[in-house]
Amino acid sequence: MESSQHSVNLVLLKKLAIIALVMFGFAWALVPMYRVICEATGLNQIAVADAAPMQAGAAGAQIEMTFDSMVQAGLPWRVRPLTSHLKVKTGEFIRVDYEITNASDRRMVGQAVPRYLPAAAGEYVKKLDCFCFKQQSFEPGQTKRFPVVFVVDPKMPRDISTITLAYSIFEVPGQGGL
Amino acid sequence: MATVTDTQHAPHSHGKPSGLSRWLTATNHKDIGTLYLWFSFAMFLSGGVMALCIRAELFHPGLQFFQPELFNQFTTLHGLIMVFGAIMPAFTGLANWLLPLMIGAPDMAFARMNNWSFWLLPPAALLLLASFAVPGGAAAAGWTLYAPLSTQMGMGMDMTIFAIHIMGISSIMGSINIIVTILNLRAPGMTLMKMPMFAWATLITAYLIIAVMPVLAGAVTMVLTDRHFGTHFFNAAGGGDPILYQHVFWFFGHPEVYIMALPAFGIISHVIPTFARKPLFGYTSMVYATSSIGILSFMVWAHHMFATGMPATAQLFFMYATMLIAVPTGVKVFNWIATMWEGSMTFETPMLFAIGFIMLFTIGGLSGVTLSVAAVDIALHASYYVVAHFHYVLVAGALFSLFAAIYYWFPKMTGKMYNERLGKVHFWWSLIWFNVTFFPMHFLGLAGMPRRIPDYALQFTTFNEIASVGAFFFGLGQLIFLYNMLVSIRRGEPAPQKPWEGADTLEWQIPTPAPYHSFAEAPELEVAENGAIRAMKGGKHH
Ligand code: HEM
Ligand SMILES: [Cu+2]
Repeated sequence: MESSQHSVNLVLLKKLAIIALVMFGFAWALVPMYRVICEATGLNQIAVADAAPMQAGAAGAQIEMTFDSMVQAGLPWRVRPLTSHLKVKTGEFIRVDYEITNASDRRMVGQAVPRYLPAAAGEYVKKLDCFCFKQQSFEPGQTKRFPVVFVVDPKMPRDISTITLAYSIFEVPGQGGL
Repeated sequence: MATVTDTQHAPHSHGKPSGLSRWLTATNHKDIGTLYLWFSFAMFLSGGVMALCIRAELFHPGLQFFQPELFNQFTTLHGLIMVFGAIMPAFTGLANWLLPLMIGAPDMAFARMNNWSFWLLPPAALLLLASFAVPGGAAAAGWTLYAPLSTQMGMGMDMTIFAIHIMGISSIMGSINIIVTILNLRAPGMTLMKMPMFAWATLITAYLIIAVMPVLAGAVTMVLTDRHFGTHFFNAAGGGDPILYQHVFWFFGHPEVYIMALPAFGIISHVIPTFARKPLFGYTSMVYATSSIGILSFMVWAHHMFATGMPATAQLFFMYATMLIAVPTGVKVFNWIATMWEGSMTFETPMLFAIGFIMLFTIGGLSGVTLSVAAVDIALHASYYVVAHFHYVLVAGALFSLFAAIYYWFPKMTGKMYNERLGKVHFWWSLIWFNVTFFPMHFLGLAGMPRRIPDYALQFTTFNEIASVGAFFFGLGQLIFLYNMLVSIRRGEPAPQKPWEGADTLEWQIPTPAPYHSFAEAPELEVAENGAIRAMKGGKHH
């Protein structure tokens, strides 16, 4: 192969290698892009306070609520809803309390993630205050009590008459310090 | 008719190093192609053994042979090895062997980089296989390596991530070589809109690889830093999101399935015209269909994620975009059928595999369109229906096309004819047992059997038994292929320069077996569509 041909080939090789590098960068750029899209569309915003619905206060349909909690196997949390069942009315301001214990002998930082059953009820349970809005830190063995304040939106479809609200508590790695 | 045979130089006369160093230091595109093909066959066998372990366990409900942990390692490594070890390297091997012959180039553009591309693969394969032996065993998160499973497992996962990095670099270097060769080294007269469909298909595939393998590398690197360096890309508690992993993975993953399909389309576009003795119908539309599949494949990734709770508008977008891909794919299928229409067909083994490909790949395409309906997919996702779908497009698609290619070009590569009778037995055997294995999986999926599980409810027993029996016979049949190859390489009938009457691309214009240094001087060509050679001047081999 003549050398002029070879240098033409090298130019193309470099361009293609740059495309590959740019695409590697693109994979990382997807992380902030994903975040921006989720924020702009309001997807995934389980951990942000909602506004109280317009008709709040005007008592409406009766809903049966169950409060629950889950801890992944191997994590040293103890979580207990102080109220486990409650009959509520849509539009009513409700407060329930959760008690969370760090049952380990080290400082831990936890993050609670709420889940609803049926999932469709999620968008109608408007949380005004919740410990799940931010990471919570615990000293070894410490127990803390947290309120959850919410309103069930009267706009919720009538066919939902029972709602379970369950929290899973995760450990935020690298925050507690061993 | 162009008949330029280089009688001054008997093939094998000089310039070919011997022994092990010929292979370790190989820079000749034919040697490297041969290495790729044997490597991928070895990977095909080891991935196949894992598949048989899976089918043995699933023959009956309950746990027979393997604990669930090991079972999951088998499904994961089976997928990874077949995708990255068998199918992709086999296509790269064919491209290495054939591209320079088809376009009149002396070799691939970067011979030494070519050597690197290949020799990165065996260490990666060893890493994958060795990971079974480390504490915690091999990766067991499925070939998609979804977080958060992949951010939790033992060091087998680290070895898998490293192997993916290596194989990614290998395939990117291989692709750069392919693109530069095709764009810069075509002989005079071999214009882009005349060159063979196989060259077009590998060109577009190579671009896809360069665009998406780095994205996969990025995704698994994030898994790696989540595992060891305290980042939280995919860790919900740390502010990350496991769904993000799926988006990044499938941005790679869907183009990847076309990386395994486009070269197959290219092969079929050679075999069908040859044995129908007619030029390929609609060559230009084939080129445009291939390109538009390549472009569309970037816009449909979330059809793998209909069950993740996407907003309805996004589901609709990905659903319609996915259905749109069926249009250019359909164009190709109709073009192949139109090529056969009123042709004077004969049914040698490559043609049988090509026709088998068209029929079965189309079934896979149809189940794909079924899955693309978001509302339906929510029920079928992660069920055996999906397993049936992708084995129709990958086994009866990619793999059958590879068999067609090997039988078709075997005479040119080795100078010998394969055993036609054994070839036909191999085809019918594979066709029947393939369907016995995978067709019942549609029913299993529709009835609700989930994929990637070692045990299942009793009502799924019969179809699982059928599938397992089919799998073992299918596997056995591949030994017929191996036997045919080994015996024919040594003792096959000598092959003529052009064993197939209807073959008209450039590689059939040179002596058989292809001289070690073909087209040391570029020929001057007069070319019709799909690389058909009308006239050839010059072109020296030695
Ligand atoms: C008309 C063309 C096609 C359509 C509409 C289509 C559609 C789909 C859809 C919607 C899924 C997701 C199913 C689910 O997970 O619930 C899927 C999965 C899959 N498809 Fe296709 N597909 C097509 C062609 C192909 C081709 C050509 C290949 C490869 C050669 C392929 C390989 C795969 C694989 C490997 C998966 C499963 C990935 C996994 O979850 O592990 N498909 N397809
Ligand atoms: Cu896809």
